[in-house]
Amino acid sequence: MLTTKRSDRALPTFITLLVIGVLLMTFDVRLEGGGVVGVLRSGTQAIVSPLQRMAAYVVTPVANALDSLSNVASLREQNAALSAELAEAQASLVAVQDQLAKLELLEQIYDLGTDDQTVGRTVANVIGSVDAALIIDKGTNDGVLVGQPVIDTNGYVVGTVKSASAGSATVLPITATREGLTVLIGSQTGTLVSRAFSSELGLEMDLDVFDAREPVLAGDRVLTSAASTAYPAGLPVGEVIEDASPESTSLTTTVRPFVDAESLRFVIVLAWPPDPITAVSDDPVPEEEATTTTIGGETTTTSTVLEEVG
Amino acid sequence: MRGRTVLVIGLIVVVAVVIQTTLFGRLRIVTPDLVMLIGILLALTRIRTEAVLGVAFLSGLIMDLLGASLIGLRAVVYTTVAFIAVRTKERAELGRVTIAIWAGVLTLIGVVLLILIGTVFGQVTLLREDALSRMILVPLANLAVAALVAPAFVRLVDRDRTALRYP
Repeated sequence: MLTTKRSDRALPTFITLLVIGVLLMTFDVRLEGGGVVGVLRSGTQAIVSPLQRMAAYVVTPVANALDSLSNVASLREQNAALSAELAEAQASLVAVQDQLAKLELLEQIYDLGTDDQTVGRTVANVIGSVDAALIIDKGTNDGVLVGQPVIDTNGYVVGTVKSASAGSATVLPITATREGLTVLIGSQTGTLVSRAFSSELGLEMDLDVFDAREPVLAGDRVLTSAASTAYPAGLPVGEVIEDASPESTSLTTTVRPFVDAESLRFVIVLAWPPDPITAVSDDPVPEEEATTTTIGGETTTTSTVLEEVG
Repeated sequence: MRGRTVLVIGLIVVVAVVIQTTLFGRLRIVTPDLVMLIGILLALTRIRTEAVLGVAFLSGLIMDLLGASLIGLRAVVYTTVAFIAVRTKERAELGRVTIAIWAGVLTLIGVVLLILIGTVFGQVTLLREDALSRMILVPLANLAVAALVAPAFVRLVDRDRTALRYP
């Protein structure tokens, strides 16, 4: 039966645990998720992720079925909208292919070398979530590292990897972080900041442009900027939903991200920046030896590249 | 706590954490907070109060470590809820319905604390657009789950088939 005996040590235990909890929170804030806190997160993920993977095999079909049931009413409308979107995308694709062919032709004519720099991609399944963070089934064994940018299958920005263990990682969406994201809107650079609360339209973000020169209009696309240290430039983030004009030299408006993190099933982790080590090469620069000969008033210069110097 | 009880509670916590982070993490509808509910229902068992608080703290800490929120946030909230549960459990022992309502009220306190402390520590993830609906629906979901599983849970942990049997 139930006991009514109350331990005298309940209150001291409770207070001790509260103090430990507050200390942990303080450490986490001070260390900004790094150091011991990061190790603790990775360790816990390493232990729990095999169980989550096993559970995901069973859970994913159930979750998909329940999601489908809850969305069945809007499926017909979504189908029609997606068909229209697909037709537009196919038309755009044809136009882009034409431009690409022209570009290749021009490159051949002018003998331009292409900068063939590719970014490694790791496709991961979303196996769960806690709060707004997504848990994915790829970790450090697959090349996923803390801080790497994450996009969805359409190439839209999702967020960054917050912590990673051998077999799993946690992704923090841009809408769930207080850190601002440097973005490009038209020719202007701004900062995109998450909102604590959002309207009924869904999760939205605030865009601040501090050196505003021209207005922004609803529908304008917001892209990642080259000034961002967390993302490659040019990734689509969202679109402006309110017109705004510069007041003095600043401008503030609302942006709706393209990605709804809660609905994601797959994400792509970008290995970015791509191999920064090769950018600083210690290899010796080849030197050239020039020989000049004059035959019958005509001067010819021949260059020979020396294989090894020194 | 005996070894078997530790094993049973450990297994229950692990299963709850896995279900919470996978199945309930994937569903876009409001779901119960199973891990918080375990801390509440443990107060109804015969295990020592300190152990109840310790289990609530550790299970909260595991959830913190798996998610992106501040480490210690859920640990503090779940411990507080478990402490209130320990102090008020006599009021719940009248029957299955009172246990369910008691668990629902404690969950409401937990959700509100989670949002309040999260706000103080700048946890934007807890202040999503569904905060109000969570404050209503998560306690209701826990209420329903408690009504269904509380007696079986107590019997399993205490190994007492007569526990929580009401006429």
